Amino acid sequence: MKNKLLDIINEMMEEAGTSTIEELKEEMSLRDDLKMDSLMLAELTVRIEDEFEVDLFEDGIVRTVAEVLAKIERS
Amino acid sequence: MEKLFLACGLKEYSYSDLINDLNNMISYSPYIYVQENDPYEIFLRIIHSILYQQSTVILDGDFSKYELERLGLNLIEVTKTYTIDNVKVYRSMHEVNEEIKNKVDWNVALYTSGTTGKPKKITHKFDTITRFVKQGEKYEKDVWAMCYNTTHIAGIQVFFQSLFNKNSLIYAFNLGQIDLEKLIVKYGITSISATPTYYRMVLSNFKEIHENVKNITFGGEKFDQSLKISIDQLFPNAKVTNVYATTEGGSLFSSRGEDFIVNSNISQLIRINELNELWLHKSLLGQSDHIHLDGDWYNTGDLVERVTEELFRFVSRGNEMINVGGYKVNPIDVEAVIMQVPGVLDCLVMGRENKITGQLIVVNVVKEKLVDDKILKQLIKAHASEHLQEWKVPRLINFVEEIKTTRTGKKARICSGLLSQGTPED
Repeated sequence: MKNKLLDIINEMMEEAGTSTIEELKEEMSLRDDLKMDSLMLAELTVRIEDEFEVDLFEDGIVRTVAEVLAKIERS
Repeated sequence: MEKLFLACGLKEYSYSDLINDLNNMISYSPYIYVQENDPYEIFLRIIHSILYQQSTVILDGDFSKYELERLGLNLIEVTKTYTIDNVKVYRSMHEVNEEIKNKVDWNVALYTSGTTGKPKKITHKFDTITRFVKQGEKYEKDVWAMCYNTTHIAGIQVFFQSLFNKNSLIYAFNLGQIDLEKLIVKYGITSISATPTYYRMVLSNFKEIHENVKNITFGGEKFDQSLKISIDQLFPNAKVTNVYATTEGGSLFSSRGEDFIVNSNISQLIRINELNELWLHKSLLGQSDHIHLDGDWYNTGDLVERVTEELFRFVSRGNEMINVGGYKVNPIDVEAVIMQVPGVLDCLVMGRENKITGQLIVVNVVKEKLVDDKILKQLIKAHASEHLQEWKVPRLINFVEEIKTTRTGKKARICSGLLSQGTPED
């Protein structure tokens, strides 16, 4: 699951022409560590929706990698 | 301590700084095109243009050469300056504000994406753009957070509200990357006006309740009840107002929730026809060759539902504009840019719904068979980033065999997201 999420994030980075990340840590903040702005978070949420059929932000904001994984696992 | 006019990152400008800089300006440009959208420079030049009665055109500082050309402009023209013969000297903000309020002939023009053809130039009179500015003793101590792009109509209206009451304005725009909570505490912000996208981004990081915030305004996107609940919790003393505004007419209606009240002063100037379309009288609008009137009336294309005689609710936008975090994007403009990329045979730009920005730009592309998918995606994004503002850049690119059309030959602009069927809404 974590690897799939890493693939999704790296695909976003590659397409945007920015450097990819090697490892995804659960405590990483989407905003502060992965430097995601609102447009990137919106992109992440639709990519996850396509992959896992879960709306990441359905009941509020998700801040960390751990929270993203928990949301996907609950679906 | 001198009264603060504007705080922007580490820079702070007092009203005395503003007066000094106004007195030292010896030239003007008919266009306000400020690199990196520096808010102080933009506000200074707006005030200066009013004082010297030079009507102005405000452009986004991040417009690319391509986007300027689409407006029929070029870099030389928009950066050209003219010398002022008689430089005026102002001694106080009172003097400046009194003179500003008498400049009834001043106009400001903004560009907005149209559903067809070139972006529309809309010229607002001073009276229409400041129509909803409230003044008086009860507003004197307001401290405003500037959470809009300063070159767009909502940002300009917040600026005038702050200026006319000699308030402090705290720049907090940038799609949520600024820590609004720190600014609220540091500057004692009392009033915030922003898009729902902005609130959704910044409020998630709030750690405290802020009782000193007394006005929260949001608009530009569909009303979001769950956001209203979060706002009520974080700002328990704030009056929360939902605003309906258009680039053609500025702020027009406000409400405490989803239902908009038609105030008696404009009740004769709006109409809802038998198809539930909202029509505005021309007196509520700016001037433009691109606003097509039927008699004295303008069809907004927005569909509304009457709740009572005085209340109505927005159902949807009647046009094809995509709303990304409060910014309207014309899919046809984006398609024109993507079609310039070698390897792209056809494309269709759509809005994909999401909980962060309302909608997001996605594109279906028919490509040449031998072109590599991954490389073409990178090329499309790089080309779009170079020629378009960031919220217009497609975030998801899907390769398809063909672009479907409707019976009338129009591209069928319906997004195919798993949880996101539907047409753009405001």
